[in-house]
Amino acid sequence: MVLALATAGLVFLPLNVYATQLHASSEGIITHQIGHLFFLFSMVALIFTITDKGLDRQKGWRLIQYSAFFFILWNLDAITAHFFDNQIHAVKIENISFGKMRIITNNDSSLLAWFYYVLKLDHLLCVPAMLFLYKGLSNLVEDQKQIMAKKDT
Amino acid sequence: MITSFIPILAVDVLGSVAMVVIALLSLYKARRLREMDPDNAVFLYLLWISVGFMIFALSRSLGHILRQFLILSSNAETWHAISSYTGSVNTVSFMLVGLVTLFFKQSWNINEKIHSSRKKLENTHIKLMDLNQTLEQKVIERTERLTSSEHKCRRIFEQSLDTIIVTDYEFKVLEINPAGIALTGYPRDEMIIKKMSVGSFFADPSEWDKITNKIALKEYILNEEAEFLRPDNESLLVLITGSVDYGAFGCAKSYHFIIKNVSEKRQMERQIAQADKLAALGELSAGVAHEINNPLGIILGYTQLLLKEEPEHKDDLKIIEKHVQNCKTVVSDLLSFSRKGSSKMGIVDINKVVDGVVNFLSNHSDFRNIEMTLNPHTGDRLNILGNEQELGQVIVNLLINACHAVEGKGKIGIATHKTVQDKILIMVKDNGKGVEKKNLSRIFDPFFTTKPVGQGTGLGLSVGYGIIKRHQGDISVKSSEEKGTVFTISLPADRTKT
Repeated sequence: MVLALATAGLVFLPLNVYATQLHASSEGIITHQIGHLFFLFSMVALIFTITDKGLDRQKGWRLIQYSAFFFILWNLDAITAHFFDNQIHAVKIENISFGKMRIITNNDSSLLAWFYYVLKLDHLLCVPAMLFLYKGLSNLVEDQKQIMAKKDT
Repeated sequence: MITSFIPILAVDVLGSVAMVVIALLSLYKARRLREMDPDNAVFLYLLWISVGFMIFALSRSLGHILRQFLILSSNAETWHAISSYTGSVNTVSFMLVGLVTLFFKQSWNINEKIHSSRKKLENTHIKLMDLNQTLEQKVIERTERLTSSEHKCRRIFEQSLDTIIVTDYEFKVLEINPAGIALTGYPRDEMIIKKMSVGSFFADPSEWDKITNKIALKEYILNEEAEFLRPDNESLLVLITGSVDYGAFGCAKSYHFIIKNVSEKRQMERQIAQADKLAALGELSAGVAHEINNPLGIILGYTQLLLKEEPEHKDDLKIIEKHVQNCKTVVSDLLSFSRKGSSKMGIVDINKVVDGVVNFLSNHSDFRNIEMTLNPHTGDRLNILGNEQELGQVIVNLLINACHAVEGKGKIGIATHKTVQDKILIMVKDNGKGVEKKNLSRIFDPFFTTKPVGQGTGLGLSVGYGIIKRHQGDISVKSSEEKGTVFTISLPADRTKT
């Protein structure tokens, strides 16, 4: 019935339609944020999958779990930073001179300014994450070497 | 809030460089893993995720370094122009990492299945190897048994003293053992290459027809007696056993025959039967002759007494005397046939006896048109222990029989020979009409004769047989119709040196 009425409305009461939709500039940051969320979610899924499959008994996989955990933290950091500066424009940075900068917050909150300052040090999260990934892979390589050596003997 | 920009700048630049370096190292490790086990789907996943992280690290780090450089060099506008592109590449790169990660579970499951299948495959392979080894062992064992069995069968075939013949479905010779080659007298190649039929060994083709009919009916024959004719015209009496073989493993139908030469056995049996028969006849003849001899002596005595007195029926009495004399001769022959060890024995030179007989008979009118050949043994003397008159009588008898066989015109050969077994042989051979096969077994029977009535008593050969037997010897005959007859006397040589 509803479908019939809708069809009838479309046929008897036509409106102008635009074939190509226009995109606002905010779509970019939203897409970026969704990307971060997707990345975060996938890392959560990885942690649970490793535990679920019992791989965490191997040191290499445990290190990869730590890597995923740090990437989660990094994603949260990035999402939050992007939220403040690109989404709600609550924070803005101005370079005063070489080595000095001004953090301008909407409500002049120094707490928010310091919080944003810390968020900007996100490499302190993503570099350890990458390091854990590297260490994890190195451990797996060693384990595999031992397995192959056992097979050979 | 105004604060120092240096910590952020330092962390950003150094962090970006560290990200790129570590991402490259991670990619290297992931590649190592993949190379170590190319079939591992999890390692493939780790390689993909490392590639994703490397793209992410490169785009992000280069973006950050570029941003710091442009801002510090008061080109913020330029950064704003390209920031959206670097940001987009960043978004795509960690979206890629996320996407790859979400497939990790699936990759793991696939890997598990591959592992499980590989395990099963390995187990199956081990089982197959075991089976293969067992099979190989069994094949070796069976081959050894088969070879051993084949060797045994081949030895039986080759060493058998009886003839073994394998033929095709048309009874053509496929295989024949050495005993068969010796029995048939044909060369092996001639029999096999020319595909001779078993039927061609038979003296009488109708006998072979009967045997093939029996095989067709019963699929086997058992101890069928038949006569073979060798290429040198020697005939052999054989027993044939045969059966059909329908073959196995696609082999064609064939026939197997086992043929036993029973000629010697049959001859021996015949000789024993003949000896038994003649021994019985001898006993009977001796009894009858003894009982008749005395009345005949009385009749002859009284007849001769009456003849001395010049009686009225002198001619009748002469006839009686003549027939009584004939009867006495017959009785004497019978007694001679059955006599046992009563004659006087001495050393006799056979060549001398034969020579004397030949000289005596060659002057006889019946032998005028006969070519007599004497072929005596040369070398040592052919001495035997016996009675010279009796042996001479036997030889005379044989020569007279030969003369009758050639019907007064032909060849008679007499030969003497000493064998390595110290047997002395006297052979009397003629080229006369021969003895019919059916009569051969009866020629030594008393009163058996093929001569017309009145021309022979049928006692000559039986008397000769009796004499030779008394001398521990043997007499045998071989005859082919229209070709001639050979009588062979075998006597033991005297071993005492004179």
